[in-house]
Amino acid sequence: MSLPASHPIIHLESGLGIGYGAPIARFEKEATLGAGTHFLLARNGRGKTTLLRTIARTLRQVSGSFRTTGFLQYLPEDLRFDPEITAETVFRMLIPRNRHLEALDLAKSIELDVKKPYGKLSTGNRRKTSLIVAEFSIRPDQGNILLLDEPFSGLDAFARQAFEEIWLKSSSNVLRLVSCHPDYDSMLMPSALMIEDQHIKHITSPNQTWRDLKPLLN
Amino acid sequence: MRLFKLTFATIFHRKAWVICAIAVGILPFILPYLSTASEKPVLVQPARIQAAWGALWISALCWGLFTAAQQGENNAKTGVGEYFLTTGMSITRQLLQIWLAIFCYILPFTLIAAAVSQFAALPAAPAERAMWWVLNSQYVCLFLIVIAPLLLLSTALASRFGGITGFAITLGLALYGLYGVGYLDNMLKLEPNAVLRGLWIFSPHYHFADITQRLYFKSGAIAGSSFGMMVAYFLAITAVYGGISRLSFRARISS
Repeated sequence: MSLPASHPIIHLESGLGIGYGAPIARFEKEATLGAGTHFLLARNGRGKTTLLRTIARTLRQVSGSFRTTGFLQYLPEDLRFDPEITAETVFRMLIPRNRHLEALDLAKSIELDVKKPYGKLSTGNRRKTSLIVAEFSIRPDQGNILLLDEPFSGLDAFARQAFEEIWLKSSSNVLRLVSCHPDYDSMLMPSALMIEDQHIKHITSPNQTWRDLKPLLN
Repeated sequence: MRLFKLTFATIFHRKAWVICAIAVGILPFILPYLSTASEKPVLVQPARIQAAWGALWISALCWGLFTAAQQGENNAKTGVGEYFLTTGMSITRQLLQIWLAIFCYILPFTLIAAAVSQFAALPAAPAERAMWWVLNSQYVCLFLIVIAPLLLLSTALASRFGGITGFAITLGLALYGLYGVGYLDNMLKLEPNAVLRGLWIFSPHYHFADITQRLYFKSGAIAGSSFGMMVAYFLAITAVYGGISRLSFRARISS
C-alpha cells in the first residue's frame, strides 16, 4: 500500500551498515519510520551522527540500502552562522517570507534576542536559531524529514518544551529523527533507534520511557 | 536562492565592502589633488582614471578574493554547506550562489569605476570623446571576465584547502598574470629558454585586461577583432577555472 506524498518515510533495510570506511554499526532487521518523533539513542562515539549523515546522504553507507520520502533537512550539531549577522537576518534570509512573523514570535517567546550578533549568542541561543530555521523551513504541502543532531544540547527546559509542542502540532507530516542524551527518566520515547554492540535496533512501545531504554545501552 | 541571500546578507553585515565603495567612488576625486597633478591641472583627469581603476583592481583582488575565500571556507566549515546539501541544493548550485553573492558587490564597484572614468575624466577632443564610452565598456567587460572566474576559484579552493590557501593562490595567479608574465617575457627576450617559453604561453595573460594605460594616454578603443580575441581568450580561462572550481569545491569538510 503506498502512502500519500504528505507522509514522510525512512525505510532502513536490514544489512544497512554505517561507518567511515569500516563499519561501526548495522541493522540486523529492517526498520520503517513514519511521521512523528523518533529518538536516536546511543553512548558517545557509537554512530549517532554517522547514522544521521548516512540518512542525509552526506556520507555513503558501508553496506545495504535505505530510502527516504519527503523533503529532508539535516541539522548538524555544530551548525553555525556568521558571527556578525543577527538571528533576525538569518531568519529573513532562510525562512519563507510568509512565516517570518511566526518565527520571530517563537524567538521572542523562548527569549532569543534576534537583534544580537550571532557570535555573541550563547550555545543554547545559537541552537534555538538553527532549530527555528529548520522548523520554519518545513514544507506544509508535503512530507518532511528532519534529522536533528543533539538539538537539546545547551537548550533550557522552557525552550525545549516549546519545541516539543511544535513537534506535536506538526507530527502528521513531519518525521523527526532526534539524536539526544535524555536528561530525565520519565521522558516518553514511543519510538527509538538504539545503537549498541554495533547493532542498530528499532524499539517501539507506546508507553516506553528513557528509564526503560537506558539499561539496554552498553 | 537561500544560500545566495544568506551570503549576500553576511557580506553586507560585515561592512568591509563600504571601504571598497569609498575607494572606488570617492578616492578618485581626492587622490589626484594629493599628487603632482595638483600642480598641473591637465593631469587631474588621467590621475583620476588611474585612481578609479587602480582602486577597483585593488578592491577586487584584495577584498573580493579574500571574501570569496572566506565564504567558501565558512560554508564548508560551519555546517551550512552540509545543511543545504541535505535540503537538495547541489554542490554546483552552492558554489554558484556563493560566487553570485560576491559578484553582486564587484559588479557595482566596476560600474562606479567606469562611471567615474566616463563622466569625470571625459576627454575634450570630439574624436576621443566618441571612443571614450566604447573603451570604458570594453574595460568593464574585460575586468569582469577576468575577476569572475578568480572569485569562483578562490571560493572553491578555500572550501577544500582553507581560506588562506584559496586567497593566496588566486591572488598570486592574478598578480602573476598582471605583472609576472611581463617580467617573464622580458627575461625571455634577454635569454631564450624553451621551458620558460612554454610556461609563458600557458600563463594567464591578465595584463591584456588592464587597459588603464590605454585610457590614460587616450589611445582609443580596442579594435573589434582584437577585443573579440581577448574575450575568447579569457572565456577559455573561465572554462578551465570553472572546471577546476567545480572539482575542488566541497560543501563540507569530510570527517
